[in-house]
Amino acid sequence: MTEKISKIIDRSIDLKPFVSEKDDEMIVCRCEEVTKGQVREAVHAGMYTLQEVRKYLRTGMGLCQGQTCGKLVKKIIAKERGIAPMDLASAVGRAPMRPVEMAVLANEKKEG
Amino acid sequence: MKRYDLIVVGAGPAGLSAAIEGARRGLTVAVFDENAKPGGQLFKQIHKFFGSKEHKAKIRGYDIGAELLESANELGVDVQLNATVIGLYPLKEVVVSDEKEVIHYKADTIIVATGASENTVNFKGWTLPGVIGAGAAQTMMNLHGIKPGKRVLMLGSGNVGLVVSYQLLQAGCEVVSVIDAAPRIGGYGVHAAKVARTGVPFHLSHTIIEATGHDYVTGVTIGEVDKNWQIIEGTEKQFDVDTICIAVGLSPMSQLLKMAGCEMVEDPSKGGTVPTCDAYGETSVPGIYVAGDVSGIEEASSAMIEGRISGIAAAAYLGYIEPSELEEEARVQELSLEALRQGMFAPGKRGKAIKNTDEGYEISQTLLTKGYMSEKEVVRYPGVKKVKGIHPVIECSQNIPCNPCQDSCPKNCIRIGENITALPVFDENTTCIGCGMCIASCSGQSIFLVDEDKEDGYTYITIPYEFFPLPVKGDKGVALDRGGSEIGPAEVMEVKSLKAFDKTHLLTMRVQSAVGMGARFYKQMKEVYVND
Amino acid sequence: MTNQADVVIIGGGVIGNAAAYYLAKAGKSVIVLEKSDDIGDGGSTRNGGGVRQSGRHPAEMPLAIYGVQNLWPGLSEALGVNVEYYQEGNLRLGKTEVHMNILQNLVDKGKALGLELDLVSGDVARGINPYLSDEVMGAIWCPTDGHANPLLVTLAFYKKARELGARFITGETVTEIRKVKGKARKVITEANVYEGDKIILAAGYASRKIAESIGIDLLMKQVLLEVLVTEAQPKMFYQMLGTAGADFYGHQSTHGSFVFGGTSGLDAYATEDDKKPTAGMTAPSICRGIISYFPEMAEFKIIRTWAGYIDDTADHIPVISHIEEVPGLIVACGFSGHGFGISPSVGMLLSEMAMDQRTTLNIEPFRYDRFKAKI
Repeated sequence: MTEKISKIIDRSIDLKPFVSEKDDEMIVCRCEEVTKGQVREAVHAGMYTLQEVRKYLRTGMGLCQGQTCGKLVKKIIAKERGIAPMDLASAVGRAPMRPVEMAVLANEKKEG
Repeated sequence: MKRYDLIVVGAGPAGLSAAIEGARRGLTVAVFDENAKPGGQLFKQIHKFFGSKEHKAKIRGYDIGAELLESANELGVDVQLNATVIGLYPLKEVVVSDEKEVIHYKADTIIVATGASENTVNFKGWTLPGVIGAGAAQTMMNLHGIKPGKRVLMLGSGNVGLVVSYQLLQAGCEVVSVIDAAPRIGGYGVHAAKVARTGVPFHLSHTIIEATGHDYVTGVTIGEVDKNWQIIEGTEKQFDVDTICIAVGLSPMSQLLKMAGCEMVEDPSKGGTVPTCDAYGETSVPGIYVAGDVSGIEEASSAMIEGRISGIAAAAYLGYIEPSELEEEARVQELSLEALRQGMFAPGKRGKAIKNTDEGYEISQTLLTKGYMSEKEVVRYPGVKKVKGIHPVIECSQNIPCNPCQDSCPKNCIRIGENITALPVFDENTTCIGCGMCIASCSGQSIFLVDEDKEDGYTYITIPYEFFPLPVKGDKGVALDRGGSEIGPAEVMEVKSLKAFDKTHLLTMRVQSAVGMGARFYKQMKEVYVND
Repeated sequence: MTNQADVVIIGGGVIGNAAAYYLAKAGKSVIVLEKSDDIGDGGSTRNGGGVRQSGRHPAEMPLAIYGVQNLWPGLSEALGVNVEYYQEGNLRLGKTEVHMNILQNLVDKGKALGLELDLVSGDVARGINPYLSDEVMGAIWCPTDGHANPLLVTLAFYKKARELGARFITGETVTEIRKVKGKARKVITEANVYEGDKIILAAGYASRKIAESIGIDLLMKQVLLEVLVTEAQPKMFYQMLGTAGADFYGHQSTHGSFVFGGTSGLDAYATEDDKKPTAGMTAPSICRGIISYFPEMAEFKIIRTWAGYIDDTADHIPVISHIEEVPGLIVACGFSGHGFGISPSVGMLLSEMAMDQRTTLNIEPFRYDRFKAKI
């Protein structure tokens, strides 16, 4: 466990200009088919956190809710920003932990 | 809403162990698991466990799982399967879905033991069908009886990658190579040796460049990496495969804890996002505990102990036992946990290059880079001695917490001592009766019986054998050395399968004396050597 | 970089970001202070995405109509991000006579302000949306209403404002506003002090505590609502949906998933928790509501639920106001659950207010000091 760095982040900080890389076409979020390049571009557009990239590109919003891509997307954001991946907060945990049909969720068992 | 003293989420080793300890002390306990079968990862683990007797050493994972389930049932624990906890709501409300309806429960204490999920790694073509997690392959094979593919490349040389590679071989798959970007094999040397002696090559400092194929994987290209993880030009190697197994670590599945409002921390040494907790596993939310991989990636043996500790802590929290009892019992469990966290692969030693064992023996570098020791290296260890007549040869060369071999020998030929990470020593002043119990009890399959004097010109070697079809007496084949190279003709003199060996068959082969210290595996051959 | 700007905006939600955009576009220097690590962490990105004119309080309707006619259609192009704005109409559904009365009332209010909308029968409603159940007795049909993607709108305003030079700083929690020589100038955070010729306070419920520091009471109460989202489905319909009984509201997104917000009815009594936890009883209740109107959706899988606060005022319309007794301070909060649809209009109005211009639309009804005792 490391010390928490200062949370104040000025979004006007000049990130190095966006330079395309040869694996930008590679998919990183399988569920939503978002590529590495799209994540990198999003950071340069101002999306500095996992939450912002998630809302902007839908990474982590698919069926697996980020279980597969979470670490990868964090790595990419961290690299673009020049920080450590563990300095980025993960997404919040929300119900349902697995997809549930509306009919099932609607069907609350009565006290027996 | 029905209210339990304790609700456990996850019926794996940690969850069941926790439930047992709680129920034992009088708590009303329910365990919910989303799977159809309980036992978590245990039911996929067909290999024998390490550790010592208290850690269930030499017992196969699925047997441990069955034992835990039986204990839980006997104690009246309500184990519900196909029951997914879809949410951990405020005030310890647990909502469960059985895919027909949702049921709301309350609990006074909750232990979350939801385990971990597999990490993934990106490379060109990683989304092609045929790229699967090693754990997923293990589930397919060991739970569903399905071969994941025919020709497999394994990425990752930690214990998961090594163990699953071996299981792929047992399932009849061909493993073309085990590769790892790291310069050294990450898992136990004995796990690697089991795989290497069957002929599977290791490529360390290699990574996947590309998975090729149109609709599914038909090939893979790997390449060597330099210190900066960049591919070195000209080192590309291509394999025809239909499956690529990824074993690059696990991440705790801690979403329920996040939902419950526990304070979380990103901890790479634990595998990802985990809740902060005390020595008993209690999180920042009083009454909510964690145990097992979800609190930090380790293994099933440690998960069971952590589960026990949390179960006992929950009992104390609810006043079923006195705080002093918790302290005492937790201490005992913690000592057991500490015993597992020793040796070369201890959490504190991760990533470090270790040159010597605790006793001062030089660690085999070829074992770390190729998966096998050379004949010259083997003889330097205390388990390997040249004596007359049949005797065990123990090729165990790294300090890992494991000692079932010591207890297995009726003649006390093998000694480890108090510290279970010590290298096993063969006492040449004892008389081996050749019963083979040591071979069968070695979870690392690194004990052999060798007899250089039974027949002139030949050496008889008894090896552990866990493959089908089982050879029979009289079969003629080829002996392979530790690296899987053919070393000479071999004839099967005996195949012993006793209940006490617990599904490890003992195959005795006869090879020419010259290769007696080199031959360590047997392969059936259709052709017969002329010089036999 | 200096901590001074023409305008300091407190709150990086859709309102603050929209104001920042319009001000930056007009060449003003702007600093936006957001207390969380994420831009758009509050109600801005948690709502149902409705962009509607119908069913609004008469005071809000002109803002909504202006937005739909002038701002929403060109927004994606202006911001350089496809914000998924659909103008495919709004159906507000009813199942009972009581519902019908409520709906008729809303139709009358809308027509009075020149809005095109009608109360249609259940059959006509089913003609527009064939997935409706037979229980639907009637509906308000407003063809010029629609919906958009709140996540993208919030972040697009931020992205463009940032490109135009607005300075956004996250992790800055404002604790106090202070006057200098009679004018509101200083914005004090836990770590720094900023100064602006004008200050726009658009921090949702948190605006209240900040306003208290300068002697202003913004009467609001928080109500926690929940939203659920399904997995992607093939395109079914793109109308915005609501109900007379306020059971749920929502739409199908470009992605194909359905986003539905709703209540359990007990939400005003939810325990206060900054982490915005969902309640075990709410999602099942919302599902039952949805299924009664859309039986086919019973099979759709929910993949996530979340909660968000609406900041409710006593008359359920926002405060959008100069604070004359604190010259230089402008407040925009208390959107009572329907701020998203008017966010471009409000952003524009705030920029006009901060530049001492006459506002394009009438903001008198939104005065901060309108809350009077009953006698």
